[in-house]
Amino acid sequence: MRGGRSTLGAFTAMVAIALACGAPAVAQEKYPDKPITFIVAWPAGGGSDVSMRLVADAASKKLGTSVVVVNKPGAGGALGHKDIASARPDGYTIGMFSNGGIAAQYNNPNANTIDELQPIAFFGEDPGAISARVETGFKTVPDLITAAKASPGRIKNGNDQPGGSSFIAIAVYEKAFGIKVTRVPYQGFAPTVVGLLSGEVDVATVPVPDIIEHHKSGKARILGVAATERHFMAPDVPTFKEQGLDVLYGSWRSIAGPRGMPADRLKFLEAKFLETLRDPEFVARAKAAGFAVAPLGIDDTWKRWKADDVAYYPILKEAGLVKVREKN
Amino acid sequence: MDGLLGNLALGFAVAFSVENIGLCLIGCILGTLIGVLPGIGPTTTVALLLPITFYLDPVGALIMLAGVFYGSQYGGSTTSILVNLPGESSSVVTCIDGYQMARQGRAGAALAIAALASVVAGVVTTVLIGLAGPPLASIALLFQSADYVSVMVLGLVSAVVLAHGSILKAVAMIVLGIFLGLVGTDVTTGEQRFTLGISELYDGIGFVPVAMGLFGVAEIIYNLEQTRGRGIVTATIARLWPTREDLRRAWAAVVRGTGLGALLGILPGSGPTVASFAAYSLEKKIARAPERFGKGAVEGVASPEAANNAAAQACFIPMLSLGIPPNAIMALMIGAMMIHGLTPGPGIITKQPELFWGMVASMLVGNVLLVVLNLPLIGMWVKLLKVPYRFLFPAILVFCCIGTYSLKASPVEVMMIALFGVIGYAFRKLDCEPAPLLLGFVLGPMLEENFRRAMILSGGDASVFVTRPISAGFLVLAAILLVAVLLPAFKKTREAIRE
Repeated sequence: MRGGRSTLGAFTAMVAIALACGAPAVAQEKYPDKPITFIVAWPAGGGSDVSMRLVADAASKKLGTSVVVVNKPGAGGALGHKDIASARPDGYTIGMFSNGGIAAQYNNPNANTIDELQPIAFFGEDPGAISARVETGFKTVPDLITAAKASPGRIKNGNDQPGGSSFIAIAVYEKAFGIKVTRVPYQGFAPTVVGLLSGEVDVATVPVPDIIEHHKSGKARILGVAATERHFMAPDVPTFKEQGLDVLYGSWRSIAGPRGMPADRLKFLEAKFLETLRDPEFVARAKAAGFAVAPLGIDDTWKRWKADDVAYYPILKEAGLVKVREKN
Repeated sequence: MDGLLGNLALGFAVAFSVENIGLCLIGCILGTLIGVLPGIGPTTTVALLLPITFYLDPVGALIMLAGVFYGSQYGGSTTSILVNLPGESSSVVTCIDGYQMARQGRAGAALAIAALASVVAGVVTTVLIGLAGPPLASIALLFQSADYVSVMVLGLVSAVVLAHGSILKAVAMIVLGIFLGLVGTDVTTGEQRFTLGISELYDGIGFVPVAMGLFGVAEIIYNLEQTRGRGIVTATIARLWPTREDLRRAWAAVVRGTGLGALLGILPGSGPTVASFAAYSLEKKIARAPERFGKGAVEGVASPEAANNAAAQACFIPMLSLGIPPNAIMALMIGAMMIHGLTPGPGIITKQPELFWGMVASMLVGNVLLVVLNLPLIGMWVKLLKVPYRFLFPAILVFCCIGTYSLKASPVEVMMIALFGVIGYAFRKLDCEPAPLLLGFVLGPMLEENFRRAMILSGGDASVFVTRPISAGFLVLAAILLVAVLLPAFKKTREAIRE
């Protein structure tokens, strides 16, 4: 209802502008003049879906047309990404691309590479974290490292399936800390948290929003976050850097479209999405739902994609997840 | 006790506001409707409603979404009974006796028993949530991977019991179901199995196309063949409502089904499905005349329907008090809460009492609304069977296709309905029952995932399954059940040999 009224408002405004500019403006193709489809390659209700629905809702007002979220889950995001990459590049079909798509490039021959997608804007990232169940007695990340070094492989970490973001997180930490743990795969963050609370694993690399309630209630402890700043939901938890460990990791979300969109429409989308992502009302809403927003434009988004493409490759290779597009 | 009454009073104050009653009613009506449409499940509907919840207050939003969920549990049995078409895994078992009842002209009785069983189970379980919800949730945390393995084993053994033909064929169907469940990405290694390079198969074969094909489509083909193209033949409907005898048989089954459902529903993943199968098997095992099962036994409808509805309500316990979604739809509800900046978890009941108790109270209201809604509808549903088959069958096929497509927007899954329809027809000709296959198909992947995780955790030591008390307990139950199944079969063969 709220969306409807402001759409109408925006429409009236656009008509007014068009009239003011006279005939030539009307003759020119107006963009957008119909709803924009926004593909989310993950099921409804998850973090990706909720964050993008918030974006779509807020962006509808800025773009002057409704942005309709369509869920196309499956194959680790590859099915939805394919729909984005192969859509008509007219600016009416865009979607979300997240770091899961980086891993998919190398283990699914049908997955699209990052070169086949056009970055539009960077939404933000969920910093990596590591949490322990309280019975382990670990209070800091160095506690964990000491224990892990004393008996390699004895500490069990709960993570998602190989190639997933919390799997890559533990792989990154193991390498950086010089430790070895037993990686125990779960299907998603919620079962991983259950595994931690039931005591079958000692630590887990789930993101802060998925464990924060248990951290607060004292059943689990977040040992540290792999970001430059502390997480706004857990201001009592120091970063890895504060604990003397120079490791950064995060799983991010960005907005992307097919390659080959007209330059003016691409610029328009970039500007409008950045405007949306910087809107204080939107930021407050996203924050309440557990998302830290860190908007970036086209060029910086592309840089981030490329950087993580380079960073993940050796980790995926080591885990035996490079099946196609092998690099030397 | 005082605290509970106070809490319930708070809950009813929330649930009885005009807005929330309205939302509860909308949810229940929508749930009933989509439950009746094959394929279009509550998950799709809740996903579609999610954007609307942006504009509602969080309690109202959750009340509506919850109404859709348990409302669909009522509607879900309708197609199982009328046209042998289970919309989701927990209503598979209702097909067995429910459809037979319909063919004998007792569709009305079956639908009424299903609705009454659901309301009793729903109300009892909701009261249970109110009384003991938060402490009960910790049961879910006592279960580790090894224990889940034993629960699944028990579930698979009970699938043998529910078959009414050859035991060997039932076992073969379960194994085939487990094999079908292997398709997709291996959770433990990330390796792809039997995906044939098709991206749509990376997450495995969907449950809905398999169920629609094996049950609905196969039934249509078989029916047309049997009646030489004339279509469904059902006995004339003698009476719409259950007889006193039906009710007498049903009530104890409802009580047992509710108990099983409430207990198993707390466990993530398998809850309502295992509960409905286990309830059916239990009834068949303790029945004085087990041969009635599969031929339209009232208990075969009452018990699983009570169990799946009890389990559906019990799902809310781990979701609300631990923030653990036991299934896809609870994950969606958590999404709806996140949109409003609420994180479900241990703190939610103390921090948001009006949310927790409002939900509990609205679930009581909703269950009563549903039975009031559903009983008058029975007459209408039964009339559906009088629709000429040349309209009914194509309509069923179209709804199956729409329903399946609505899940993942995947044409591959729609084509799979046709494939499994042909396979299901072959099974019918070979006298192989599809229900055990579906249970194997649903439980197989969970069994494997938990088994391999249990092995990783124990360092390859298989003794965890007997040293953990919970796991050992379930294995003993499975063993007892297996012996109970096999003994009569042995006896029969021995007698056959002697003769």
